[in-house]
Amino acid sequence: MARKEKVRVKTSSTAVRMSLVVFMLVMAFFILGPLIWLGVHAFVTNWTYPNLTPDGWTWHWWTKVFADSALEEAIRNSLIISPIVVLLSMIICLPAAYAAGRMNYPGRKTFLIVMFAANSFPKIGLFASIATLYYALNLMGTVVGVIIIQLLGTIIFMTWIPAAAFASVPRNLEEAARDAGASKFRVFRTITLRMAMPGILVAIVMSFLASFDEAQGTYLVGAPTLFTMPTEMYSLVQNYPIQVAAVFSLLLAFPSVLLIGLARKHIVGGQLAEGFQIK
Amino acid sequence: MASDKTDVVTESFEVKKASKLSVLGFLMALPPMLLVLCFVGLPILIAFTFSLGFTAGPNRVVSIIGQEIHKKDHWWGTFAAYKDVFHDSRFPGDLRTTLLVTLIATTLVLSMALGIGIYQRMIGGRLASIMTTLTLVPLFVPVVIASWSIHTFYAGDGFMRTFLSHFGIDFPTLTSTSSAIVIGTIWTSLPFAILMVTSGLQSVPDALIETAQDAGAGFFRIIRTVLVPLALTPIVIAGTFTAIGIMGSFTIPYFLGPNQPTMLGVEISNFFGSYNRPQQSIVMAFIVFAAASGIALIYIWANVRSAKQSGRI
Repeated sequence: MARKEKVRVKTSSTAVRMSLVVFMLVMAFFILGPLIWLGVHAFVTNWTYPNLTPDGWTWHWWTKVFADSALEEAIRNSLIISPIVVLLSMIICLPAAYAAGRMNYPGRKTFLIVMFAANSFPKIGLFASIATLYYALNLMGTVVGVIIIQLLGTIIFMTWIPAAAFASVPRNLEEAARDAGASKFRVFRTITLRMAMPGILVAIVMSFLASFDEAQGTYLVGAPTLFTMPTEMYSLVQNYPIQVAAVFSLLLAFPSVLLIGLARKHIVGGQLAEGFQIK
Repeated sequence: MASDKTDVVTESFEVKKASKLSVLGFLMALPPMLLVLCFVGLPILIAFTFSLGFTAGPNRVVSIIGQEIHKKDHWWGTFAAYKDVFHDSRFPGDLRTTLLVTLIATTLVLSMALGIGIYQRMIGGRLASIMTTLTLVPLFVPVVIASWSIHTFYAGDGFMRTFLSHFGIDFPTLTSTSSAIVIGTIWTSLPFAILMVTSGLQSVPDALIETAQDAGAGFFRIIRTVLVPLALTPIVIAGTFTAIGIMGSFTIPYFLGPNQPTMLGVEISNFFGSYNRPQQSIVMAFIVFAAASGIALIYIWANVRSAKQSGRI
């Protein structure tokens, strides 16, 4: 999607401009307000209604979170499970993404439709169905069970986005490299893979976030024996003061913020939407 | 003559290459396919038989653990578990809440996405790009954090009430009401809808809009007759994806909604876990599937149509 001069309608009217600015401020308030409000709570001793400022500032809640063994275990579980899920997802899906983007094979049409159909079941109903089967397979409350649940959420990202990326690598570049004497593997490594990399990177980021943030299925299958950071939040908000939940939220949001920084350009640049449209 | 010959040679080479690759391609596509069949297709099939009272085989363990399990009394099973759910006094309210929240939130998300998308396509400028970037923020915020921060923001001692009380306005406590569920679902569904709709609108060729302008079409006429029809597929995908996501959500209604009536996602989880009535939970899951199936068909149809248009299928 090349960014060129688009047709513009001139907005000379100040009234229109003003209302647009007001609309944007309302949106900013709607989206960022709750996040800031919760974030500030991680550093306050107490906040008495209806005062405009908190009673005092403190780091106390942070030490409390790091001293709690249940919370620490949830953090460890999340940091172990999510990378495994992303790695497995890459191994399972990337070859299929290459095939879908570059090759023609029997049942390709069915493959495309099945991948979308898998995503068109309301999540919680699907998880309840899987949990029923998990009882028979003895996977309830196990790491393997949680990994499979989270893997399912990454497939859509790991097949579609890289497939679009592989498909958009110009063939004549590869042919030129082949003509110049590069081996098949070298062409794949230095041209195909390198040019598809932004798409694969976005897929990795989205898959990691999907796995790291997955709560509904992990809770249904993992609780009460296995907790990850997001599922720990379910019990946290009921048993601890709001400040502890605020600290935990900031910790949970940290990887996301880090990863957006890395991949923001490509995601906003359209890799994500392009991938979903299977052009 | 000579060139004809080379054409034939390269063509047959291409055909040979393609047919050789096709087996490999099929094998490469197999792993995710098998994963989906084993852990989406199979569980849904087995769960359906469980909801009808087939308690043997893979359903044996869950039938022993669960309470109030109905065993089949006909060759095709029994509707006893379905009767349980339909006679439950909580169910009508839950179903109504689920459908209403889905309808209202999807309509609002889609109109906001269209508004912002059209604004960026037709007017553009720095303000528009800031707005689009801003609306992408929720994409990177875990749903649990989003739900909990919205919970505290609109709570009895939350920001809205705290701030507005200084102006003498008694803002209602939205937390634990259906309105809070709608706010939460809009918050989390907005980025994907905006990404889809914006990219769809951006790909409408300038020439068409210019031609319409030259022919004297006004702002709204261009939107109605050029922009929206040409970007219809991504708009439909955005709408259906949003609706399916809302129907199957658990975290947002769990944190933000009232205890009763709530959305079916919460009840499915409660019945499966806390109440230990897995059969009734699965029945509700299939009621949600049935409600979503129409939307799902439109969603898949729109995707196939978009893939066909761009020549990928």
